[in-house]
Amino acid sequence: MLVLHAAEQGLIYGLMALGVYLSFRVLAFPDLSVDGTLPLGAAVAGILILRGVHPLWAGLAGAGAGALAGTLTGVLATRLRIPGLLAGVLTMIMLYSLNLRIMGRPNLSLLGKPSALVYLAQGLGTPRAYENLVAVGIFALVAAGLLLLFLHTEVGATLRAVGQNPELVRTLGTNPHNFLILGLALSNGLVGLAGALVAQYSGFADVGMGVGTIIAGLASVIVGEILLRPQSLLAAVAAALVGSVVYRLAISVALRYGAVLGFTASDLRLLTALVVLGALAAPALRAAWKGETP
Amino acid sequence: MILEVLKVTKTFALGAERVVALEDLDLFLDEGDFATVIGSNGAGKTTLLNVIAGHYRPDRGRVRLAGQDVTRWPVHRRAYFIGRVFQDPLQGTAAHMTVAENLALARKKGARALVPLLTARRRRFIMEAVASLEMGLERRLSEKVAHLSGGERQALTVLMAILTRPKLLLLDEHTAALDPANAEKVLVITERLVAEQQLTTLMVTHRMDQALAVGNRLIMMHKGRIVLDLGEQEKRRFRVEDLVGLFRKVGVSDDALLLTANGEGGIGTMAEEAKKQAHLL
Repeated sequence: MLVLHAAEQGLIYGLMALGVYLSFRVLAFPDLSVDGTLPLGAAVAGILILRGVHPLWAGLAGAGAGALAGTLTGVLATRLRIPGLLAGVLTMIMLYSLNLRIMGRPNLSLLGKPSALVYLAQGLGTPRAYENLVAVGIFALVAAGLLLLFLHTEVGATLRAVGQNPELVRTLGTNPHNFLILGLALSNGLVGLAGALVAQYSGFADVGMGVGTIIAGLASVIVGEILLRPQSLLAAVAAALVGSVVYRLAISVALRYGAVLGFTASDLRLLTALVVLGALAAPALRAAWKGETP
Repeated sequence: MILEVLKVTKTFALGAERVVALEDLDLFLDEGDFATVIGSNGAGKTTLLNVIAGHYRPDRGRVRLAGQDVTRWPVHRRAYFIGRVFQDPLQGTAAHMTVAENLALARKKGARALVPLLTARRRRFIMEAVASLEMGLERRLSEKVAHLSGGERQALTVLMAILTRPKLLLLDEHTAALDPANAEKVLVITERLVAEQQLTTLMVTHRMDQALAVGNRLIMMHKGRIVLDLGEQEKRRFRVEDLVGLFRKVGVSDDALLLTANGEGGIGTMAEEAKKQAHLL
């Protein structure tokens, strides 16, 4: 049960991890707006489902809303020359109010409402216990596959080049800013979709559900990289999903058995941040250990 | 006329002062011209390239490329006409993409489509292009560029810069960061590719011997102006010593420049020669 739920959650949030991989790793842009776009996707999908829209369309609308928010961050960071971190924070703050406005209240209950996951799984005739797992697996694998294909197109490859050498992209006669905006739109689209599916999976949308998303996403990407040491795009994309599942599993175990060590659920974010901190600091610590000065 | 730089002035703020980097500078390049540019540090060589490529907008004056006024065009729009190679080999490639991917990106300017970057046909085209470098890179197409040596990487960058046959090729001391053997190799490749495609080229260099040996024109800059513009005939007669003398004459006291006059090695002799030259003047 614990493993099953962790796998389900890991794959849904894996969509978000793919988005974070795209912004942080591919574009080398530290995008914090995801803390706002995850609940945005949930809010948009939630309100549409309550109005009777088909859950699949509601999910896509959540992704579209996320993409719009990502576009905003991109425009702030390029056209208005606001530093990237701040651009993301501004979008995130704006979304907090906007999400409240969209939902009309701090949270929506979707219990008993149709879910895209159930719809998809029943369409395939999946046994009841594995409905969610199969459905989220399909969403995650299709999204990962499309992302991988995209990164091998001319547009996708240019996007990768923007993250590695924006000046090169300029000398190729293209404006790297446009590609950064496109990349952030796609990244936040994935996060919006994740939010929409999280809402349908857990049966509610909440204005506070996005807090810590970026750290969880980064933790997933980093854990995946440590486990798989990816050398190719395929491996890197797979690592984001694998990392997400392992991360959720670790969280579940910590929540279940952490009490023995004196941990409570409220310590979760601290632990997650420490994991990310450790992974990010590892190169510097290793260098210091070997006596190299920075 | 491929390139026309017309009465361009560019100043920079340095604290409270304003430093003139280019002053009322005129430069014209005909189709097929291969001009080398020398000058001491701060003479305005790189500023000139940046004004041409669009990184800086001049305070006064115009820049025309292939007959069009591009003075207000952004870098990426001018890039349709311009190929550029920088001093740092890291600057011209995407390190974590493969040799083939880098070349595939460089095979056209501007709009990108949602089609595969590497098709069998493009691979063949890339294979042929990279084989012309004669560095064995055609067997390493799937390797990441980060794994190449500086010389290989810079040769690849030169190839990428000329793959679309730009109207103008800008080389900004593009062999200066390489060891002597690789610098020579990259220079030979550059000369060959430029000759094959008859590219109009502007090459900034620190080395006077290189400036004299390569191309059909030599331009010497000093304090934001062009103080010497040699055509093919005169250039052939000029020697490094003549250039050193000229530098002395315009009052360059930049020892670093004089020391690099001879390229690698011979630093001591060069300094002595400079002294001799100064004495004669």
